[in-house]
Amino acid sequence: MKKKFFILPLIFFLLILLSFLYILVSERDPYNLPSNLINRNVPIFETDSLFKNEKFSSKQKFGEEIILVNFFATWCKPCHDEHKYIMDFANKEKIKVIGINYKDNDKKVKEFLKKLGNPYSEIAIDRKGRIAIDWGVYGIPETFIVNSEGVIKYRHAGQVTKKIYKKINSILNEISNVK
Amino acid sequence: MLNKNYKLIVFLNIIVFLNLIFFSQNFLHSVEPEEIMLNKEQEVRARNISKNIRCMVCQNQSIDDSNAPLAKDLRLLIRDKIKSGHENKEIYDFLVERYGDFILLKPPLKSSTFALWFMPLVFLLIGIIVILRHNKKYINKKNN
Repeated sequence: MKKKFFILPLIFFLLILLSFLYILVSERDPYNLPSNLINRNVPIFETDSLFKNEKFSSKQKFGEEIILVNFFATWCKPCHDEHKYIMDFANKEKIKVIGINYKDNDKKVKEFLKKLGNPYSEIAIDRKGRIAIDWGVYGIPETFIVNSEGVIKYRHAGQVTKKIYKKINSILNEISNVK
Repeated sequence: MLNKNYKLIVFLNIIVFLNLIFFSQNFLHSVEPEEIMLNKEQEVRARNISKNIRCMVCQNQSIDDSNAPLAKDLRLLIRDKIKSGHENKEIYDFLVERYGDFILLKPPLKSSTFALWFMPLVFLLIGIIVILRHNKKYINKKNN
């Protein structure tokens, strides 16, 4: 009886240790937060457009086709690194990509796109970062998939890598098949 | 002489330590002068809300403590909302709608967080029962 009294807490302790070990070795990334906007409509906003003289209104732009929304800035290094994949979405996969330029300088953005190519069909300007807050963005770059009903289906926070590029493509295929 | 110095050092250390405990909380914030609202009552409200909002970038700090640009944006947003007459609950709801419950430093009580809130109580009860039973056995043994 006395032995049992000592063994039980030990087993319990080992169980806790094992569960910690599991969390440690599993691929869980505490910085990868789930978006609260999944399966919800695109936030409503109106702002300046980089290349056009008219206002960019989210009500008019979303809800007709599948759109990739990419929050980016020229001062953000991961944005430079992921740019080739954003180009591939537009050119190879023929997906419409809308860029939301976060707290940046218009002139620098134009130079950036001239140098690296412009994958965006349109660019909305978020000067104060308020549009990003409406989208629940916590660190750029972030990329969202919006379906043809204007509903957000996926969010990736951080740089698009080869792995994420493939993942986004498979989600895009899934969504277009459902349609 | 050495003894005297030693006492002085210990005394100073204690004072520094107490200062850290009592004053750290009050001075540990990142609100910049231009952010502060003219209306004191509104500023207190903004500060209180900011203390309950998690900085999504640094995760274990409130936006009141954090220097992250997003934390600053959220502090300004809260102040704008207060200025335009929003209630505290409306401001919390606005933020939760965009960032989820994770943005609240204190998780809300709902069915999915029951375990989080009540497991400590369950463990405490188990502990008390174990100790009581152990003591009872010990007393019985002693009496016999």
